[in-house]
Amino acid sequence: MNPHSTRRRAGLRLLVPILTLGLVAAACGGDDSDADTTEVPAETTAPPAETTAPPAEGPTIRVRGQDFSEAITIAEVYGQYLDAKGYDVEILTPAGFRTEAIDGIRNADLDLIIDYIGGSLTALAPDGESLSDADEIMAVIGPLYAEIGGTLLDYAPAIDGDAFVVRGDSEASTISDVADLDYVFGASAQCFERPQCFLGYTDPDVYGIEFSDTVTLEFGPLLGEALQAGEVDAVVWNDTAPQIDEFGFKVLEDDLGLHPAQNIAPIVRTEVLEAYGDQLRADLDALSAMITTEDLLAWNVETDLEFRESAAVATEWLEANDLI
Amino acid sequence: MNGAARPTQAAVRRDIGFFEWFFSADTWWGNNGILESLRETVVLCAAVTLVAVVLSVPVASVLAHLRRAELSTTWLVSISRAVPTFAIAALLVPWSLRSGRGFEPIPIFTALLLLALVPIYLNTYTAIRQVPEGAVDAARALGETELSILTRVELALAASLVFAGVRVAAIQVVATEPIRAFLGGDGLGRYVRDGIGQSNNTLVVGGIVLIGGLAALTGLAFVVLERLVLPNGVRRLARQQGKRTT
Repeated sequence: MNPHSTRRRAGLRLLVPILTLGLVAAACGGDDSDADTTEVPAETTAPPAETTAPPAEGPTIRVRGQDFSEAITIAEVYGQYLDAKGYDVEILTPAGFRTEAIDGIRNADLDLIIDYIGGSLTALAPDGESLSDADEIMAVIGPLYAEIGGTLLDYAPAIDGDAFVVRGDSEASTISDVADLDYVFGASAQCFERPQCFLGYTDPDVYGIEFSDTVTLEFGPLLGEALQAGEVDAVVWNDTAPQIDEFGFKVLEDDLGLHPAQNIAPIVRTEVLEAYGDQLRADLDALSAMITTEDLLAWNVETDLEFRESAAVATEWLEANDLI
Repeated sequence: MNGAARPTQAAVRRDIGFFEWFFSADTWWGNNGILESLRETVVLCAAVTLVAVVLSVPVASVLAHLRRAELSTTWLVSISRAVPTFAIAALLVPWSLRSGRGFEPIPIFTALLLLALVPIYLNTYTAIRQVPEGAVDAARALGETELSILTRVELALAASLVFAGVRVAAIQVVATEPIRAFLGGDGLGRYVRDGIGQSNNTLVVGGIVLIGGLAALTGLAFVVLERLVLPNGVRRLARQQGKRTT
């Protein structure tokens, strides 16, 4: 579930910490690139053993996270990783959501964005058919990104998609099981008009669930509060909402494959990718392959529940995985 | 939450025209229709306004009659208006949920009540303070009790201004009640909420028209009610006073 309007609310709620964070990130970014200009020559003469090859000279890679905590951490991870590999990287202050990120590639204001592929699909092909398979989605959005000057790289195993969440004591383990339970259903207004959401749950040809009642809620922590209080029995949240674990909720299996795949994938401006050659692609693919859904969840717990800064969380993860 | 009710929460097409939507039978009837939403809104607003009158008018009248606590209460009531209504309701929702009281009605009721108290309290206090001293003195000279002076002289002469305060409060409550839709409730605000969430401008415009229309009707209803309830003499007096005070 990554329509940017739902994220906007989470973003607004976190506005103050994020603004603070953004300033810090911008300051850190500045420091890092300063450090690079002095360090890069040293590295080219004596590359560290673990670096496969020194990156070719090329333009500055400008990366900017979408303005909600998970995306900010993801951007920091990719940015700091490339920076450590010796690329000339500028991590910009997080701003905007999917629309702004895609526009950044189109207008050559940004060189690297990271997005959820199912979300990219709805943004780039709003009238296209809904797909749940990651590779099918990649096959559709790849050429669409190419049209606006971007190259879609391999997706990560990490997924942050729609999650059908119930309380821990629910008898259901799949969404199909809910059909007999007469549940009260809560979700954001968007869900009620989307075939991959409420319309799919209630469609007799898909899940065919008859909910006893429906409640429209703001996307975000209110979903958890309502579920916990018993006002609703099931909500549509996102996989990596840290509150799911905190409250002991469980995510039901999407046994009919209704939810679109929402793996994260980097999109690089084609001009920049060509300037660096295959090395940049190989480095980014190597990083993407390492990021799992559990990592996203762990990052969100640190940023949203423990209020740590995304930049520090990213550095810690990269160090723990020997990537920097 | 009865098992029989099949939710009719059908999405409204994004390209639907305003008139097509507004004049469709489905828009008005059913569990999520305008009539049901209207009923929810009217019931809540009427309850809030009624409780606000019951709380404000006696306290303001007695204090104004005794010429007591003018500064402190006026100040207290006025600053309660300075706290955004939405913030009060939003703060109370998690508490209400955790204490098993549900989304409604406590959070939205409390927030709207604080909103409604202000104009009713201030108008009542001011109206009673401005009752001509001569009328009160004459009543006292005739041996009327203080309670009788308050109810039969001061409140009677102040009635029109008190009424105006209630009318302003009711209109403000109706115009603000739609925040309820953003806090787990429904009511007429649902059209604005769903329209924003689903990028459906027809729904947003529809919600605005309905809310604005209800607020306008509320104002009109109070004008009619005033004509029916208040004697001509009191209304004429208020018009004369109005030239001086408002």
